[in-house]
Amino acid sequence: MPGLALCGLIALAFAGGAYYATGSFATFSMVNAVLGLLALGAAAIGTVRRARGGASPAFRAVLARGLLGIALVLGAGVTLERLATASELQWDWSFEKRFELSEGTRTRLQELCGRASATLYADEYDPRARSTRLLLRTMAASDCLPFRERNLADSAADEDRFGIGSSNTVVIEVGGQFETVSRPTEGTLYEALSRLARPDAGVLYVTRGAGEGSLTRNDGSGFSGLREALLTEGFRLRDLVTAATDEIPADADAVLLLAPERPLPAPAIAALRAHLERGGRLVVFLEPGGESGLDPLLSEWGITSPDALVIDPASGPVEGAAPGTSPLAFHYGTHPISAGLDAGRMTFFPGVRSFALRKPQPNDRMETIVHSSGRAWLSTDLEATRRNRPPERPEDAMEDYHSLVVAARYPRGDQEARIVAFGDAQLASNQYLRALYNLDLVMNAMHWATEHTAPGTRPKVVAVSGRLQLPLPLQNTLTMFQGVGLLLPELLLIAGALFWARSRV
Amino acid sequence: MTALRALLRKELLVLFGSPMAYVALTLVVLVTGLIFFDHLRLYNQTLFLFASSNMGGFESDTVPDYINLRDTVFFPVMETLGITLIGLIPLVTMRVFAEERARGTDELLVTTALTPAQIVLAKFAVTYLFVTIMMLASFVYPAMAIIEGGIGAQHLASVFVGLSLHAIALASIGLACSAYTSNQLVAAVAGWAVGFVLWDFSWLSSFSFVGERSIAFLDAISLHLRYGSFAEGIVNLGHLVYFVALAALAAAIARFSFDWRRVAG
Repeated sequence: MPGLALCGLIALAFAGGAYYATGSFATFSMVNAVLGLLALGAAAIGTVRRARGGASPAFRAVLARGLLGIALVLGAGVTLERLATASELQWDWSFEKRFELSEGTRTRLQELCGRASATLYADEYDPRARSTRLLLRTMAASDCLPFRERNLADSAADEDRFGIGSSNTVVIEVGGQFETVSRPTEGTLYEALSRLARPDAGVLYVTRGAGEGSLTRNDGSGFSGLREALLTEGFRLRDLVTAATDEIPADADAVLLLAPERPLPAPAIAALRAHLERGGRLVVFLEPGGESGLDPLLSEWGITSPDALVIDPASGPVEGAAPGTSPLAFHYGTHPISAGLDAGRMTFFPGVRSFALRKPQPNDRMETIVHSSGRAWLSTDLEATRRNRPPERPEDAMEDYHSLVVAARYPRGDQEARIVAFGDAQLASNQYLRALYNLDLVMNAMHWATEHTAPGTRPKVVAVSGRLQLPLPLQNTLTMFQGVGLLLPELLLIAGALFWARSRV
Repeated sequence: MTALRALLRKELLVLFGSPMAYVALTLVVLVTGLIFFDHLRLYNQTLFLFASSNMGGFESDTVPDYINLRDTVFFPVMETLGITLIGLIPLVTMRVFAEERARGTDELLVTTALTPAQIVLAKFAVTYLFVTIMMLASFVYPAMAIIEGGIGAQHLASVFVGLSLHAIALASIGLACSAYTSNQLVAAVAGWAVGFVLWDFSWLSSFSFVGERSIAFLDAISLHLRYGSFAEGIVNLGHLVYFVALAALAAAIARFSFDWRRVAG
């Protein structure tokens, strides 16, 4: 019987082996699988008969106890494993923490729970599919996004239907809607889930015509990334040409001013004033040295900003910029805009001005959202960001926690106006929006301004480390091979030979 | 307790004093080295091919993301190592029980103060120690890829835990097989066959009559999925318990061999 069982196992192993080797379950595998299963079944039946026929009742009791022991261990093992799996407890020890879902992703999964499903289309030997599979399995653990896998070679119809261009593509379906993600990472899957969730975060009017940052420019200093992020999170964007504006449209949930370089026309300023007076919302990104013409308006609402640059020893290294001019901020006020941000989640301001706050009315609430470090001071040398030399520090420079981002609420009757002001616009540019936690800060501010709940901190960009793509020079590879690849086995074999020789003596 | 300590000592001496152990260690290290350096050679070639066919070379951002040490060297080496261990570990475990049976010394052991459970535990413990040392030796190469690739110490620890657990699971299977035969070759082939069958059941999904629930069940008992997540840097409690449960089940089956011999001879 053991011989028959062994033959059965060998046949099964070869059935699987042939499948691995050829990639298909052909006749050879089929015959082996069937014969293997038959042999195992026959061996099992024969063994049971032999045990029943040949053993005395006393021996049967011994056997029963032994088998019961195995059954108990098996039962306990399965129960514990199921409990452990159900606990969903896992630790992400990967280099980039790639499998720790962000709050934003978890929120989107909950919103689509029971409606969405994901399919991974991959070639059989695509190495990238492994990470994607694990990421999808992590998402599936929430029981909100079941996923399946399809061989790309067998899915010609799906390729046409979903516009799949390459292996390792994920299609997320919700009802009749779908999103195709060709480079799946948590970030791209989050964006696809967000588009399918179709959140409505309100109408955002974006001013144009006074040298504002462009939402359509794709280079580093453009803001197309911000536009994509706003659309992904459900904002409906409308243009507001300031030269032709004497009234902010009534459907505006908020108005966005992205670092105007020239003063806004007086009618546009008046329209913004009227907008605020009737409980409107304003999100302003200013730049040091900018002449937006907004200073008097903001001052009326208690926000003033000296035209000076914040110099902070806690700054990030920016090529071509003077040291100290690009603060890394990690002091946050308690506010929905800074939700999820803390000392370990920094934001980055490449050239920033500061604000001072003074309440226009007692019931108004004005708060600093982001502070510089306590060792920051103000410099009027506004060109410093463009030089590689720190500005000279005046003797009377005062070190303080300067306000880099402020938010204010102005209850007026049954209306409430809101203003969020950033002392820097570059943090929202394509170059810096996804640096550190800038995206979270900016998007939280937009959601707060329009009174919509933000989905939580968003996935971080996972980039392949530059070092990972460096070649190992041939000489290094050879040295490694000779030094470790051959030396270690040689030493082990010598040790074995010595033991063998000793055992013969 | 003294008897148990004596058995542990004897098992250690037999294992580490036998040239066969060093031959197995050498084989594992050599095979791992060859797999690693072959992948490294391919990686270097592919990288130079991409770099030289684009004017900007390495600085141009034109080398595809997936050509990197992690995806092109590290993961394939781990995958191949996982399968290779199925063939190599039974060479270590085949003699542990089978040799005792062939020489008749297992009956002597049973007559000592030791219970069959203690005998099984001692043999399992010593084999696990040897297998862990074996993994340390074979881990030199993946560790080099991780260090060169800047993947990080935590990821390194995760991979080593996964590799060791996988090897221990295969050793457990091999020991259970060895407990039922007096022929070392049969023990090795049985260990290899069971390990290979348990490795991955994805081939069964080719059959239309195998339902999704059955596939999910088979996925849950296969070694490959559990082992793969450690290589990615995920330490999952469910996977840890799976490997511990597999080892416990193999020990229980090995323990049952003593009862079986009393009945079936």
